[in-house]
Amino acid sequence: MRSVNREDGPVKVTGAARYAADHHPEGLAYGYLITSTVARGTILGMDTAPAERAPGVIAVYTPFNPLRLHPYTQADTAELLPPLQDDRVCYYGQVIGLVVAETFEQARDAAALVTTRYDAERPRASFTAGLPNATPPSGGTPETDVLAPGVTSIDEALAASDVSITETYTTPAETHVAMEPHATVASWTGDRLTVHTASQGVRLPVERLTESLGIDAAQIHVINPYVGGGFGNKWGTWAHTPLTAAAARALGRPVKTVLTREQVFTVIGHRPITSQTVSLGAAADGTLVAVKNDGISSKSAANDFYESVADLSLALYGSANLHVSRKVVTMDVPATTIMRAPAESNGSFALESAMDELADALGMDPLDLRLKNDTPSHPVSGLPWSSKHLEECYRVGAERFGWSRRSPRPGTVTDGDWLVGLGMATATFGASRGEASIEVRLRDDGRAVVSGAAADLGTGQSTVFAILAAEVLGIPVDRVTPVLGDSATPPAAKAGGSGSTSANGPAVRLAAEAAKEAVVKLAAEHEKSPFRGEAVTYADGEVRGGGDAMPFGELLALLGVPEVEVTATSPRHPRREHAFRSFGAHFCEVRVNRWTGEPRVARWLCVVDAGTIVNVKTARSQIAGGVVMGIGQALLEDLRIEPDTGRFGNATMADYLVPVNTDIPPIDVEFLNYPDTVLSDLGARGIGELSIVGAAGAVANAVHNATGRRVRDLPITLDKLL
Amino acid sequence: MRAFDFAVPHDIDDALGLARDESAFLAGGTTLVDLMKLEVVSPEQVIDINRLPLHGIRPEPDGLRVGALERMEDVARHPAVAGPYPVIAQALLASASPQLRNMASIGGNLLQRTRCGYFRDVATPCNKRSPGTGCPAQHGDNRGHAILGTSASCAATHPSDLAVALVALEASVRLRGADGERTMPLADFYLPPGDTPHVENRLRPGELITEVIVPPLPWAGRSRYVKVRDRQSYEFALASAAVAVDLHDGEVRDARVAVGGVGTVPWRLPAVEDALRAGRSHEEAAALAAAGARPLAGNAFKVTLVQRAILRALTELAGPR
Ligand SMILES: Cc1cc2nc3c(=O)[nH]c(=O)nc-3n(C[C@H](O)[C@H](O)[C@H](O)COP(=O)(O)OP(=O)(O)OC[C@H]3O[C@@H](n4cnc5c(N)ncnc54)[C@H](O)[C@@H]3O)c2cc1C
Ligand code: SF4
Repeated sequence: MRSVNREDGPVKVTGAARYAADHHPEGLAYGYLITSTVARGTILGMDTAPAERAPGVIAVYTPFNPLRLHPYTQADTAELLPPLQDDRVCYYGQVIGLVVAETFEQARDAAALVTTRYDAERPRASFTAGLPNATPPSGGTPETDVLAPGVTSIDEALAASDVSITETYTTPAETHVAMEPHATVASWTGDRLTVHTASQGVRLPVERLTESLGIDAAQIHVINPYVGGGFGNKWGTWAHTPLTAAAARALGRPVKTVLTREQVFTVIGHRPITSQTVSLGAAADGTLVAVKNDGISSKSAANDFYESVADLSLALYGSANLHVSRKVVTMDVPATTIMRAPAESNGSFALESAMDELADALGMDPLDLRLKNDTPSHPVSGLPWSSKHLEECYRVGAERFGWSRRSPRPGTVTDGDWLVGLGMATATFGASRGEASIEVRLRDDGRAVVSGAAADLGTGQSTVFAILAAEVLGIPVDRVTPVLGDSATPPAAKAGGSGSTSANGPAVRLAAEAAKEAVVKLAAEHEKSPFRGEAVTYADGEVRGGGDAMPFGELLALLGVPEVEVTATSPRHPRREHAFRSFGAHFCEVRVNRWTGEPRVARWLCVVDAGTIVNVKTARSQIAGGVVMGIGQALLEDLRIEPDTGRFGNATMADYLVPVNTDIPPIDVEFLNYPDTVLSDLGARGIGELSIVGAAGAVANAVHNATGRRVRDLPITLDKLL
Repeated sequence: MRAFDFAVPHDIDDALGLARDESAFLAGGTTLVDLMKLEVVSPEQVIDINRLPLHGIRPEPDGLRVGALERMEDVARHPAVAGPYPVIAQALLASASPQLRNMASIGGNLLQRTRCGYFRDVATPCNKRSPGTGCPAQHGDNRGHAILGTSASCAATHPSDLAVALVALEASVRLRGADGERTMPLADFYLPPGDTPHVENRLRPGELITEVIVPPLPWAGRSRYVKVRDRQSYEFALASAAVAVDLHDGEVRDARVAVGGVGTVPWRLPAVEDALRAGRSHEEAAALAAAGARPLAGNAFKVTLVQRAILRALTELAGPR
């Protein structure tokens, strides 16, 4: 497997990389958002006079003096309504105003002078209180059943199984806390708009701005080559983006709005709260015969996104009978949105915990139970998996981690004051290959430029572009310049659904192949070409023919052709004959202090079956990053909503805990690296989300093995282990 | 942050002369600047005291003297601290992060403000920040709040780790104001919230902390600071215990115990000390730790946790008993 340094490493380490907020066009004014301090109600009035008189203030926009924005027409994972167009408040921390001033400080200070009067209503802010009134999702399928012939209900199948368990598992709201806060810089030249904005795919803000500003996509240029983490929160285009662009239009000068850390918590969406009641029924030998999961997700009144949290139970382990239901609790909270492995990461916490509990009930090793129920085809569709080596993940992992040293009796292994436990879980995430277009330009300086409107959120995607193009073109990786995050380039796959490399990788290869053909054709046909009329071939970056060879750059220089440009499109995979998923196995050791209950993760191994690994160096970081986030999900993260006010109780980075370095043990990552040739020639599936799935379950299982305590409500904090 | 005047005096009298009611002294700034950015405090004048001669870490016959401007990291690493008073060094090193400890001063540490989320969010009411507006923590987000010394007006913890160790060691602070100098035990310096949670200590307006004095305690070499928190570093205590024991032949003859993360002020536990002195078991002694506790909905676990923190410290210092 290749291990290549990040192409963008040096600019990031030296600070030369310019993120959205680093742009300062001539004449820039600064926007500062005003946000609501009630969760539900009507704004009666806003006194903006003191702010308007404050030094440097250029404009104060509110629902009473709005910037006109057209309704959003396309579904998005962000909000349904553009900001400031009415006086309703749907959540605490909603954008209700924008102050624009000559400096950031002036805008911020003026914003603090605005006073708002509300007619506040009692918010629906308790998930627990809303559970009895949970409703089927509008537009979604409320239930899915797969029953064996002759079985009339899932409960019948459960009752008929030798051993069964039923438990309820819950997960709290979470937020992404990506390092880079959201920012938008908008400037107009005539009727053309240039936008620097943090995004997981530059075509997403183009769509939002097209509809909300009422202009053509062709008038909008979005540029965002560097993204300081996304995890889903830069997929949606949030309120500040159209607002900033509209302010820049109204004021005739560029405007920049950067969210404060605290604003990121509410202006941007969060991962929904979920509850899953899982029943598993098995034959005495461990064969699953019934899997039932009733999943409920919170959903913001401000948008329609919820997690179909139970659905993973339909896709992982084989069972003759399966049942899943979906419900939502609508709450007056900020937007619910996608966050790394939406639905699957929460879904797997419940499923993987339940599998451990079933193993306990069966008196079976939890690894053996999973081996027993590994399935060669999708449990619902029956389609064969395109490429699945999960069993090898389990076996390799067990060997490497020393799984055989796990004591089957919980609470029996100690090391000084620490109770020691081992846990494991399956990692998995859906895979696909979307359509992607890529442009390759071979230049007369011998370099290749590979462009597409993809995004590198820190994932290593731009390096993947360089590696794959270099390989096809037969040139060193550092002679390839990847260009991502520019809406003027062809529509490559955005960073979402772990689908960047699986879609863009084949497209880069196609485009590079096409570029080779184009330069060969040029060599054979151009009137000044020394290869004219020869049988021309291309190898190792050179054009060859008639016994001669010349690097493509030299040839182009000789011909006076500055560059050869081609665009190729790799189509979407229809997925009709196979099912596609990535798989893996997590193993971890957790220690719990016997006095004070702190759970600490001591060791981690993740064995990965995700198809071809293009760059093991950045792939390893992706997997490790998912594990880190999974440890946060398991032990720390909990965005607390105050039931009375709908305010987030800990919406600061001091109070919303994510792991720090000392919380993270050495993470061992092993890639099996079997190409998935059904999905594409490249054979790469996806690794962005895979490893957070199962991580929390593995921790919960290890905590149980260490202490004998089963914690079914995340996060597993020390107060639950005292 | 609001506009303010800035002054950089070079001697103590100048600093005291400059101070007005609406002034704030600036040491490391890790609390002050933070709270100014949040607009929790908006002083009209900021007086930078970093040029004042409030330095030095000196063991003297009447105890260890630490200048108010000494940085947390330097104090923690100083041999006159780490050897004779491990509990101080451990409390400091369990605080914040290395970057912050290199900036933050001892005086500033003792005067840092609570981490209560309502106190720090000016969009919410808070009796401590805006007297009379109410205390949303009583029925709101209170997992991190105090169980000891609380009132209906306020249940915020005092967040300093250092102060807990110092209270256990019966340290004093030297104060200097325009009217002269005074010294008082740190335990008396802090005030429980009562009906006036905005008054946190006995420091008068314009008064400086000049020095901390830790009296000699020959057996403090056997001392320990146990800090319990959700993550392993970079977090304030859910509960902490500063414990020193005088151990003879495995028997605890004397002990000092103070706890943090659970009290509105650094909380000394004389009853636990008495029980240990009287030869009671660690469990029996620790069980007295939360006497009088008034837990809120989210922090009842601290009643158990604080006892466990003490037990853990005792076990580490004196072995199981
Ligand atoms: C992210 C973060 C994490 C932290 N974690 C911890 C932790 O785990 N444990 C912990 O104990 N602390 C922690 N702290 C708090 C930190 O220890 C304090 O902020 C620091 O000690 C304050 O010292 P300073 O010199 O920066 O004070 P400043 O911010 O300069 O001053 C603080 C206050 O004291 C006043 N003041 C300062 N010096 C004097 C003096 N000599 N005389 C009179 N008044 C004075 C100032 O006017 C101001 O009101 C953390 C802080 C941060 C930002
Ligand atoms: S606990 Fe104290 S600091 Fe917190 S809101 Fe109540 S009064 Fe304010």
